[in-house]
Amino acid sequence: MTGAGPAEATAALIAETHAAAVELAREFHRTAERQAADHGTHHPCRTLAAQCAAHAERLRAAAARHGRELSPPRAGDPLGGALDTVRHTASELRGRHASSGELLLRDLRRLFLAAQEVAVLELMLVQVAQAVRDGELLAEARALREETLGRIDWVRTRLADAAPQVLAVAG
Amino acid sequence: MTDRIRDVWGARTPFAAGQPWPERTDRWLTVAEDQVERWVPGVCPLCSTGCGVDVAVAGGRIAGVRGRAGDPVNRGRLGPKGLHGWQAVTSASRLTRPLVRTGGELAPTDWDTALGLVTARSRQVIDEHGPLAMAFHTSGRLSAEEYYAQAVIAHGGIGTPHLDGSARLTATAGSALAESFGCDGPPGSYRDLDLCDTLFLAGHDPADTQTVLWSRVLDRLRGPDRPRLVVADPRVTATAREADLHLAPRPGTDLALLNALLHEILEHGWADQAFVAAHTTGLDGLAATVAGYDPGTAAGICGVRAEDIRAAARILGTAERLVSTVCQGVYQAHQATAAAVQVNNLHLLRGMIGRPGATVFQMNGRSSDRNARETGAGGSLPGFRNWRNPAHVREVAEAWNVPELRIPHWGPATPAPEILRHCEDGSVRFLWVTAANPAVSLPELHRVRSVLGQERLFLVVSDAFRTETAELADVVLPAAVWGEKTGCFTGADRTVHLSEKAADPPGEARPDFDVLLEYARRLDLRDRDGGPLPGWESPEDAWRDFTALTRGRPCDQSALTYERLRATGGVRWPCTDAAPEGTERLYTDHVFPTRPGVCESYGHDLATGARREPAAYRAEDPGGRARLRAAHHLPPHEPVDGTYPFQLVTGRTAYHGQTRAWTGRVPELARAAPDVWVQLSAEDAGPLGVSDGDLVRVVSRRGEIEAPAVCDGVRRGVVFVPYHYGYWDQAEPGRHTRAANEATGTEWDPVSKQPLPANSAVRVERIASAATALAHGLADSDRQTDAPPPGTLTGDVRHAETARPETRS
Repeated sequence: MTGAGPAEATAALIAETHAAAVELAREFHRTAERQAADHGTHHPCRTLAAQCAAHAERLRAAAARHGRELSPPRAGDPLGGALDTVRHTASELRGRHASSGELLLRDLRRLFLAAQEVAVLELMLVQVAQAVRDGELLAEARALREETLGRIDWVRTRLADAAPQVLAVAG
Repeated sequence: MTDRIRDVWGARTPFAAGQPWPERTDRWLTVAEDQVERWVPGVCPLCSTGCGVDVAVAGGRIAGVRGRAGDPVNRGRLGPKGLHGWQAVTSASRLTRPLVRTGGELAPTDWDTALGLVTARSRQVIDEHGPLAMAFHTSGRLSAEEYYAQAVIAHGGIGTPHLDGSARLTATAGSALAESFGCDGPPGSYRDLDLCDTLFLAGHDPADTQTVLWSRVLDRLRGPDRPRLVVADPRVTATAREADLHLAPRPGTDLALLNALLHEILEHGWADQAFVAAHTTGLDGLAATVAGYDPGTAAGICGVRAEDIRAAARILGTAERLVSTVCQGVYQAHQATAAAVQVNNLHLLRGMIGRPGATVFQMNGRSSDRNARETGAGGSLPGFRNWRNPAHVREVAEAWNVPELRIPHWGPATPAPEILRHCEDGSVRFLWVTAANPAVSLPELHRVRSVLGQERLFLVVSDAFRTETAELADVVLPAAVWGEKTGCFTGADRTVHLSEKAADPPGEARPDFDVLLEYARRLDLRDRDGGPLPGWESPEDAWRDFTALTRGRPCDQSALTYERLRATGGVRWPCTDAAPEGTERLYTDHVFPTRPGVCESYGHDLATGARREPAAYRAEDPGGRARLRAAHHLPPHEPVDGTYPFQLVTGRTAYHGQTRAWTGRVPELARAAPDVWVQLSAEDAGPLGVSDGDLVRVVSRRGEIEAPAVCDGVRRGVVFVPYHYGYWDQAEPGRHTRAANEATGTEWDPVSKQPLPANSAVRVERIASAATALAHGLADSDRQTDAPPPGTLTGDVRHAETARPETRS
């Protein structure tokens, strides 16, 4: 971002945050499908995937206010749908195996990192919005960051509850 | 006394606000009264109301019951289940010997062999897989002492977090109270029903589920100063027919409806601003959330008229003494806790709590759900202690004299549906089910059966009858039941009763308390000093130990001895040296147990169930104020579509409890509601070509149910099926088309973890006309062919009594 003015830098940061939010939505969606047999993960991940999609849309609106048009992720991709079905079915078949717990922890760790990525970018957004005295962006960035921290809370809760049973039961 | 089967609520005894509810002693005996040798005090075990009862003994056997006239809960009354249900105790189909699976069949054996096997397998599983491979699925109808023994054995002795059970099926009650007030515990007493001027029943159908409580309400409604009654329920229940205003929202939209009611309360200045300012936190967040739920918006989501929402809000907003009750209609939804909390918010905004005639009840389903939660067998540590608070964990460890690290407190006690998941993934290898029937009561039954039936899972079932779950067991232990053992039961308004032993159990059946203690001895569970754990011998020892552990907690029962309970009958906790007679209502000083050192939980995100971190809670210390918690409506996870256009909801009838293990064996109750039925609205039935009595099939993505149709009593788009019916009394028990949970899906509320045997998307297909079904016996049970379809059998009689010209729906 060196050389660009603050306006461009802010728009670029919003775009980067948007990309991370879209990726987080995707991760929640994939985890939901991969954990179809683990209902305590599957249903909340579906809820959170939808929330993340709405979150990304708000970032697109913020980007537009800063002169940048971001395209939404492709929806209804037939190949993606087929992949979902494969993940969902594979997950239900695997649900009876001991390895399913380890895969769950792997998914939750990945989600945790993806959510952290969004959170740190939003922290930067909050700071920049103050420095450039953009009250509207500041309010929106703060609200979005609160939401992201809430998602991190969910991943932390699920990980904390799931880990002992996976790791402390001898096979 | 009138026939309580045909006249479910009995003759009216109207009374005015502030008068005592008139006494009326209901009784039902199978011998002449002069043949009764003694009357033994107890409590009715068949719903959560907790009616005081005297048990008649003749010839050493239980021979009848009568209500206890002086009892604060029922003032002598008993409902159809209470009057007749006891006969199950004397049923010829009681289990009288332990059974062990040999060569694929359950065969009789002796206790030493059966318990030897249970202990050996426990030892093997603990040695090979560790304590987290051990799990216990407990009940909603054991005594407090039995739950407490399970908590000590599982959490303090073996060291597994997997202890939970049927109480999870109404866990939202405790979760909603803890989110708002910091701790579980119903704030009011039934006496508040006698004093209120307005009643709001949200998803609660006491006319069917708590018939004696409903008698009390009916007597107020027929009295000189009838309270206004608002009912929210997608079904046109007998309760709803009495309402001044009945809102019938689409299932799964209660949160939007309640948000709209709160929106109106704030908009019209009906909130008690001084109370809110002094005794609550979180108004800004709540106001911001409900701002988006004007009646017009909510009307679209809920499928009710905006003017009805406004009218309901005006009634609730102008009440001077408001009592609300919340039950399964709200709890069995994907946002159960979030919705139930909004009814708490209604009372906090209006300052309607902690004073006579103003309270909120988060109701329970079973007779001792409360005890499971209080003793530490239903999610929290004993005495509503917070597992995230190190001081609370230390108190329990010291009381049990065990190392703190042995008590699992790295997370909450595992909810019952998660225990089932661990059985499915193979990490739990030993499961002991006591007085519960998950093979009928949990959602998605084909999955439940396949999980419980796995070879690698050792399944022990303790029950009085050979239930559908017992059929899957490796060892079945015959249990003594109500009337054959002594222990405490706490009803939905904190009234504790001591239920005494009246007769010996049949054959070799034994109280679960004795069996659990022998199991602990055989496993050689020990405390830190090498003493036996638990260290007691009798239920009274256990009660003394448990009540000592409640000292200083919101549910303090430290002065509540067997002696006091015998002398006075029912007593409401807290019962302490300072309040030895018990306590009518909580929070009369409007100080709530929300301080970080006191509270049972630091709270959750209501949408996802994410836990608040202790540091974050401490930073915003509510300091004894109640918490106004807000949440947005989210669409259900399985929306209706063209293939599955209806929403399935499940529920109860007045004549049966749980999965009919008891009530199905009582001739009067079995005859009154002999078989499953399907209710749908006349508007929906017409285009499907379905008429009353036609045999229909209800199909979901997971299974199907076959039953005769009743084309009345629910809103459009909703299909209702009672969940009581299983397979033990079927000619072909392997034909799984009778239990409502065949069609339901595995999902639970993210906060309370209460499973949701409702809100599945289904379609309805007509199989045969009523005439054909009857002629060919297509409905494969002992259904009486000379009777109208089940569900309408007694409906006319009951509704005639309640028909009022001004009722509307």
